[in-house]
Amino acid sequence: MQTRSFNLHTIIEKRVLTQATFILRMERKGIEFVAGQHIQVGPSNGIHTREYSIYSSPEDDYIEILVRQVDDGLVSPALNKLGVGDSVVINDAVGYFTIAEELIKDAKFLFIASGTGISPFHSFVKSYPGIDYKLLHGVRYANETYERDEYEAGRYLACTSQDKEGDFHGRVTDYLSKNPVSPDTLCYLCGNCDMIHDAFDILEAQGLRPENLFTEVYF
Amino acid sequence: MKIAFKTLGCRLNQYETDALAAQFKSNGYEVSEQEYNADIVVVNTCTVTNQSNHKSRYVIRHAGRVNPSAKMIITGCMAESHAGQLQNKFPDATIINNKGKSAIFHTVDSLVKGGNTDLSDKDHDLFSYQSFSGMFHTRSLIKIQDGCDNFCTFCIIPFVRGRAISREASKVLENIREVIAKGAKEIVLTGVNISRYESEGLKFSALVDKILNLDGDFRLRISSIEPDRFDEHFFTLVGHPKLAPHLHLCLQSGSERILLQMRRMYSAKDFMTIVERIRSVNPNFNFTTDIIVGFPGETEEEFEESMAIARRVGFGQIHIFKYSVRNNTRAERMAGHIYEKVKTQRSKRMHALAEELSSAYRAAFDNTEQRILVEKWNNGVASGYNDYYVPMEFDTDNQRRNRFEVVKARVKDFE
Repeated sequence: MQTRSFNLHTIIEKRVLTQATFILRMERKGIEFVAGQHIQVGPSNGIHTREYSIYSSPEDDYIEILVRQVDDGLVSPALNKLGVGDSVVINDAVGYFTIAEELIKDAKFLFIASGTGISPFHSFVKSYPGIDYKLLHGVRYANETYERDEYEAGRYLACTSQDKEGDFHGRVTDYLSKNPVSPDTLCYLCGNCDMIHDAFDILEAQGLRPENLFTEVYF
Repeated sequence: MKIAFKTLGCRLNQYETDALAAQFKSNGYEVSEQEYNADIVVVNTCTVTNQSNHKSRYVIRHAGRVNPSAKMIITGCMAESHAGQLQNKFPDATIINNKGKSAIFHTVDSLVKGGNTDLSDKDHDLFSYQSFSGMFHTRSLIKIQDGCDNFCTFCIIPFVRGRAISREASKVLENIREVIAKGAKEIVLTGVNISRYESEGLKFSALVDKILNLDGDFRLRISSIEPDRFDEHFFTLVGHPKLAPHLHLCLQSGSERILLQMRRMYSAKDFMTIVERIRSVNPNFNFTTDIIVGFPGETEEEFEESMAIARRVGFGQIHIFKYSVRNNTRAERMAGHIYEKVKTQRSKRMHALAEELSSAYRAAFDNTEQRILVEKWNNGVASGYNDYYVPMEFDTDNQRRNRFEVVKARVKDFE
């Protein structure tokens, strides 16, 4: 039934970020993609796959995904059991949550993520050196800021809702309400549906045009 | 040798059936939409909803009952998604997937002439259908695109139609020139997701612009399109005398939250902006749409948002779908699936509204002078659609089909 082709890819590195979150680095094997796109990934011995935004850059010779284990999930616990040398199935990259090339050089970007919704933004930042961005990352605790050192100083801001160890205590929507965004900013939102819904309304009320708001929903 | 075609589902399926039928006809086969006395029956199936599956199975069973000696060919999206199940249920049938569909003539012809055929899983060109005019439809359907990469959470189509692919613009234009030369008066662009058309840098609006600039007495209907890629170029084309003032602009829901859950790539506000911009050029412009009711988690308030936007637009027609679980889609795993009874109630309310809106929209055209493409003639009454896609009829002795007539006409079945 699935007309996109699945291929086996060997895991070449696993980085554990928190108890529930990890990064899988896998063989690239020629997968073509644009930063912001996603792939379907699943254990090689199973029938289920899930969509994951690609965390790495198209310039890398490997492909990475950021996974948060859903305890009663069918795929993420199985992926968490895998290690270096094991295989996963991956299909072609798809998706339109990408940045138009002509905008990269001159536009000002605000990336708004919740949880593992930071993945495409990591890929953007790695893919487009010199891009003018600010990254708002909504997490519950400061230990969920994943690889924050990967971002240039002053560009990453953690909004922590359950502790005060982040850069801002509260949700990303609280931060946006208190810190209005300039209407000429291009805003990319990725993560939880409710966060995107609320943030979208706040940004529109602040004068941002809907055509300058781009969304990718995680569930 | 007589071959019958039974078609379910979308315009793309209709196009593909028409093209195949034309190919059989030009090679000496007798072609029909009735399975009686046919030697071969081709069922072009659909799987977009559970109901589509039921209908597809019914049509196959019915054709088999009516004409048990006919060779049965099953193709289309259900043949792609449920090949094993169909083969078990109809063991004598030949199942051909979507990628093999364009080669059905050669498959069947070699089966008829040589007694066997190549049914390997070889991929055929998705656009290699021959050009035709005047098969089962008066309007000339033109395939410009296939497949979809949007992966809306409720939709199985990307899994059965495959990745998005666009037909070369030069070939689209050549195809249209050919059908116009054969007498086609209405060109209807079809595909799975035509707003994503892009070939060698040429996007959808630019393709439409080129088509509108072709010579000939024809009108162009865009038909079904997603509201997620309208550019400024498109708005400059609205009002072009060859462009039919009608879009089937797929809304699916009027709730911003549900649209996000569906992973649609536009907001309800975007949708209204498109409607308002186009209506500012032509206030009578006809918008028809698809709406899904009872998507997982849809609250009564969110359903009312769909009703509200339908009223604001004043849709000329609404195709209403009760949300139907498709295996392996993201929505299947969502929480808050709606009870069938609630979906049915919402569907009924939306149907009642759709009828009211359709009547209100069509009333303005009743007993007015319209340009009608005559598709049927029966007992002194010719019927067809006007530029706005309103079904109209008028009295005449002229039985000729596929001709424009500017005439004072009645809205068909209008009370």
